[in-house]
Amino acid sequence: MPEPILVARGVTKVFDVGRQQVRALRGVDLEVREGEFLALVGPSGSGKTTFLNLVGALDVPTAGELLVLGRRIAELSPRERADLRLRSIGFVFQAYNLVPVLTARENVEFVLELQGLGEERRQRAMAALQELGLGDLADRRPAELSGGQQQRVAVARAIASRPALVLADEPTANLDGENAEILMHLMRDMRDRHGMTFVFSTHDPRVVAHATRVVTLVDGRVAHDEAMAGEAPHEILPGIGKAPAGTDA
Amino acid sequence: MIRAAATYAVRSLGRNTRRTLLSIVGIGVGCALALFMESLNRGRDELFARMGGYAGAGHLRVVPRDWRERRDPRLRLADGPAALQAADALPGVAAVTTRARAQALVAMGTHVAPVEIVGADPVNEPKTNKFVRTMAAGRYLQPGDTGVAVIGQALADRLAAELDDELLATAVGRTGDIESILLRIVGIVRTGSDDLDASLCQVALADVERLTGLAGAGEVTVIMQDWKTTDAAKAALATRVRGDEVLTWGELNPEIEGHMQQDAATSRIISSVILLIVLLGVASAQLAAVLERRREFAVLAALGMPRHTIVALLLAEAVAIGTAGGLLGLALGLPFVWRLAHAGLDLRSLMGSTYTFQGAIMEPVIYGDIGPWVGWYVFTVAIVATVLASLYPAWFAARTDPADALRVA
Repeated sequence: MPEPILVARGVTKVFDVGRQQVRALRGVDLEVREGEFLALVGPSGSGKTTFLNLVGALDVPTAGELLVLGRRIAELSPRERADLRLRSIGFVFQAYNLVPVLTARENVEFVLELQGLGEERRQRAMAALQELGLGDLADRRPAELSGGQQQRVAVARAIASRPALVLADEPTANLDGENAEILMHLMRDMRDRHGMTFVFSTHDPRVVAHATRVVTLVDGRVAHDEAMAGEAPHEILPGIGKAPAGTDA
Repeated sequence: MIRAAATYAVRSLGRNTRRTLLSIVGIGVGCALALFMESLNRGRDELFARMGGYAGAGHLRVVPRDWRERRDPRLRLADGPAALQAADALPGVAAVTTRARAQALVAMGTHVAPVEIVGADPVNEPKTNKFVRTMAAGRYLQPGDTGVAVIGQALADRLAAELDDELLATAVGRTGDIESILLRIVGIVRTGSDDLDASLCQVALADVERLTGLAGAGEVTVIMQDWKTTDAAKAALATRVRGDEVLTWGELNPEIEGHMQQDAATSRIISSVILLIVLLGVASAQLAAVLERRREFAVLAALGMPRHTIVALLLAEAVAIGTAGGLLGLALGLPFVWRLAHAGLDLRSLMGSTYTFQGAIMEPVIYGDIGPWVGWYVFTVAIVATVLASLYPAWFAARTDPADALRVA
C-alpha cells in the first residue's frame, strides 16, 4: 500500500473576524496516499479552501495534527513552510495567479530558479510547457493567453519541479466545459506519468468524475469519503496548445 | 535565491514600464531639486567667504605677531618682503598685496574727519578689493604716485572736497609726535556703502611710511583662487613666515564666519526638509506600488519565496530605481546647477547692487557650488532615499498573507 502523503487528525481552524470567531474547520480527519487523485467537494463555506491552505502550508491549524510529507505543519517556522511549498508542493489556483510580468516560460522557470536549479531549468520549464501543449506559447505573457492556456501554464508551473503533492483550488472554476475537460485530462496524465498526488477542490460534477476518491466536506467536517470504483477513461486531446491565443475560454 | 530575486526585479521593472518610469521621474525630480538646493546652500558659504575675502580682508592675511590681540594699525610685519614672497609662492593664489594702515584725521578747510588711511599697492590692491575699482570720479592710485589719495564719496561729501583738492592728513608718528602730510585727491570711489565710503582713504604705501615714520608693511593680504583651500594654504604659509602670524578671513571676521555657520545650519535644516519631502514622496509611491502588487507578492510567497527574499527583491528594485532616478536627477539638475555656478543667482534687483554686513561690503549674487560632490550627492540621495523609503513597503510586502491575499473575491 502506498505511503500516506497527508495525514489530518482532528484538524481545526478558527479565524478571528472582528470580535467574532469563525470555525472554518471543525476536526477534519483524512489520510491521503501517494498517487491519489482526490476531489474535495462540498458547498461554499464548507472549508475546502481553508483545508487546502493548511495542507499547502500557507496557514497553520488552530488545533489538531496535520502531517504533510511527514512534516508537522504546526511546528514549522514560516521559512520552513516556505521551503516545503517551494520544494515539495505545487499549487494551481482558481484565478491562475500567474506573475503578470513574466512570460509563460519564465513563470514556470521562476520556481525552478528559486529552487536553485542552474541552466537546465530552462529545458525543464520548456519540457513542462510542451507536456501541456504550450510549447508555442512559451514567450507570451499571461495577458496574451486565454484563460484555459493560463491555467495550463499554472499546471506546468506546479508540476515542473516534480513535487510530491499538487494542490488545486477550484482549478476549472473559470474555464468553460471544454477547457475544464482538457485540464483534468492533463492533470491526470501528469499523475500517471510522474506519480504525483493531486488534491483538488471543485463544485463541478464533470471534474469530480475524474477523481479516484471524493471527499465531501460539510460545515468544516468530512461528511463523506468515497473511493471511486473505476477511473473515467481519458486521453490527451490531440492538438492542444496549437490553437491561437484567445480562441478558447 | 537572491539571484532569482534580482532577475525578477529587473524583469519586473523593465516590463512595468509606466510604473517604473513614474517612480524614476518622481525620484529624479526630487533629486534635481535637492541638488539645486545643496548647490545654492554651498554657494551661500562662498558668498560669505567672498564677502570676507574680496571686501579687503583677503582669504588669508599675514599680520604682526601681536596684531590679533591688539588690533593696533601701528604694528608692522617682522619681515614683510619675506612674507610677500612666501605668499606669492603659494599654489592656488589669485592675488597678493601689501598694506600699511594709520589712524588719522583728514581735514580740508574747516571740515575734519577721522579715517583709517590705507597705504596700498596700486597694482595689486584692486585685485584683492574689488570695490575700490568703482570710481565715481578721477582715477585709482598708480605706480609711482606720492602725495595723492583716493577717498570715498561719503568722505568727500563730508569734507566738501572734490578732485584735485588737497587734504591735510594728521597722525601720531613713530616717536609720539604729531605728523602731517598733504594729499591731493586724484580719485573718488563709490563702493555702494556710505559707511565704508565715509572712512575710505587710500594712499601709496610710501605716504603712510612718511606720515607715521613706521617703515614696511603692516600686512600681506592673499586672495585664493578657491576659497575652500584657505585652511590648507594657511597651514603652508604659516611654516614659511617667521615672526609673523597668518590669519584666515574667518579669524579676521569672526562675526561673519559665525553668521555663515548659523546660515549654514539653517540651510541644512531646509535641505533636510526637502530631502524628507523627497523621501516621503518616494515612500508613498513605493507603498502604493506594493499595495497594487499585493496579489503578486502573495503568489511569490505561495510558490515558496521566503520573506527575506521578497524584501531583497523590493530593495533590489529600489536600488535600480534609485540609480536610474539619480541619473535622471543629474540630467535634470546639472544644467541648472551649472548655470547657478557660472551666472549666479542675482539678487541685485531685490537687494540693490551691494550691501554691507558687519562692516564688510558684498554683492548679493549667490554662485552655486559645483564639483565632483554633485555625482556622489545625487546618487547617495537617490539610492539611500529610495532604499530607506522602500524598507516599510518591503516589510509590508513580506508580511503579505498568501492565503488571505489569494482568496478569490
